[in-house]
Amino acid sequence: MEEFAGYPGAVGPDIKEDETVRAVAELRGASLIYHEKRGETAAVENVSLAVGKGEFVSLVGPSGCGKTSILSMLAGLAEPSRGEALVLGARPDPRTNATGYMLQRDHLLDWRTIEDNIMLGLEVKGRLNDETRAYALELLDMCGLTDFRRHYPRQLSGGMRQKTALVRTLAFSPELLLLDEPFSALDYQTRLLLANEVHGIIKRGGYTAVLVTHDISEAIAMSDRILVFTPRPARLRREIRVGQELLRDAEGRLLTPFERRNRAGFNEYFDLVWSELEGGVGDGVE
Amino acid sequence: MASNKERRTAGTASKEHIAYLRALKKHNRFIIAMQLSILIAFILLWEGAARLGLVNTFIFSCPSRMAATVLRLNAEGKLFYHIGVTMLETVLGFTIGTAAGTLIAALLWWSRTLSRILDPYMVVLNALPKIALGPILIVWVGSGMKAIVVMALLVSTIVTVMTVLTGFNEITGEKQLLMKTLGATKLQSFTKVVLPASVPTVISALKLSVGMSWVGVIVGEYLVSKAGLGYLIVYGGQVFKLDLVMASVAVLLLLAALMYYAVAAAEKRLLAKRGEG
Repeated sequence: MEEFAGYPGAVGPDIKEDETVRAVAELRGASLIYHEKRGETAAVENVSLAVGKGEFVSLVGPSGCGKTSILSMLAGLAEPSRGEALVLGARPDPRTNATGYMLQRDHLLDWRTIEDNIMLGLEVKGRLNDETRAYALELLDMCGLTDFRRHYPRQLSGGMRQKTALVRTLAFSPELLLLDEPFSALDYQTRLLLANEVHGIIKRGGYTAVLVTHDISEAIAMSDRILVFTPRPARLRREIRVGQELLRDAEGRLLTPFERRNRAGFNEYFDLVWSELEGGVGDGVE
Repeated sequence: MASNKERRTAGTASKEHIAYLRALKKHNRFIIAMQLSILIAFILLWEGAARLGLVNTFIFSCPSRMAATVLRLNAEGKLFYHIGVTMLETVLGFTIGTAAGTLIAALLWWSRTLSRILDPYMVVLNALPKIALGPILIVWVGSGMKAIVVMALLVSTIVTVMTVLTGFNEITGEKQLLMKTLGATKLQSFTKVVLPASVPTVISALKLSVGMSWVGVIVGEYLVSKAGLGYLIVYGGQVFKLDLVMASVAVLLLLAALMYYAVAAAEKRLLAKRGEG
């Protein structure tokens, strides 16, 4: 695989504590409460965060802690019960092109070819034209799926299907990419390969990404910054910035997730995130 | 289809594969041979028993007399008239039934509130043996073809609504999040996802509806008609012409089977076109 060779020409995040970096996504004291017949559940409590342009941020926390609820607020699918969510300084609205949301399952439409599947977002948003179509096909090519354009989803492997879902998400050029455990339904090997590939696509494209995962090493291998959350309701427990020694090699090239995993220092980050999560679990025990 | 590339075609298949295919074909031929044997044995036994006087042909009729009856009806020019009437009623019943059922299901899908309000009515209507409404229909719609088609509609529409609505709701639960993240409107969700995803459901509802429509039409013909296979059956029964009754039932059997296979074949073609075959 050529992916081991880093990403020549990648823009990479420029997040040297530069306060002037414009936040693509922001939560300000956001809380989210779900109402059901049986009562109400606080899913998120007073979370503030900001994601800068080109940054890759992972949200890590015990399962069911409300990480997905944070994504829902950023995607405009759920409105904060208190506080506010902002994308590009405005209230997030899924009808705009601001956010692309990638789900755990690919949700490809069985009766559409791969090509027609990746056009779904553009169709729904009324933006399908020759130019956007060409761009989507270019993305498909970048994922090595051009030969499968006329195939149907059931003819593709799980990894290829998830890549198709990524292309569908990127096709309308979202400013913010929300990834909700997009690799968790895949087998381990596919998962590592795909994480590597997706990371490359995101970094080369200069996308801003927020990844929800419960896989600690995935978070460290992919992100610039890791936010650790407490058990439900999710509160921000700790922010961990991944150091330059893991992000880049001696020549300043960006490292791939594969390369990061082999770096000295990777395990220290793992232990750090682990202990934060442990503490969080401990707090949650009644 | 592109997937055939991965499979080896017959020309390049291994010896074992050819042997496997041959065995498969042989087994299939055996199945068909057995199916035909049962039919032929049944007819022969019936005919034999009648000839030997083991069964009373006045009550049970027999295949040769049934065949003679069919030929006589044909010679009188009545056979295809009665078949035509019944077929037309049945086709009208299940096409209108499926279309109306799907439309009503779409409305109920659209408004969750309406669906909840009407739910007990749907359940009760579904539970009611629609045939009980026959006499009321005669009074309301009058006798003749109209009443029979309405009967077929009554029997087939409710089932279609229930089946299709369940299909719509299942798909919605599964794909709703995706469409929401893309910012799709309700209409877009329906036209781009729910409806196309439900094509197989609608077709299986159609298959159900074909069977239901036959029931409605025959019962309708029992009650009111002056023509059709149901009419022939009832008439034959009343004048104790069991040959006519049995012959009409046999023709009905054949037609119902043909129609079922035709719908099944159409289903297969349609799904293959969608890449699901």
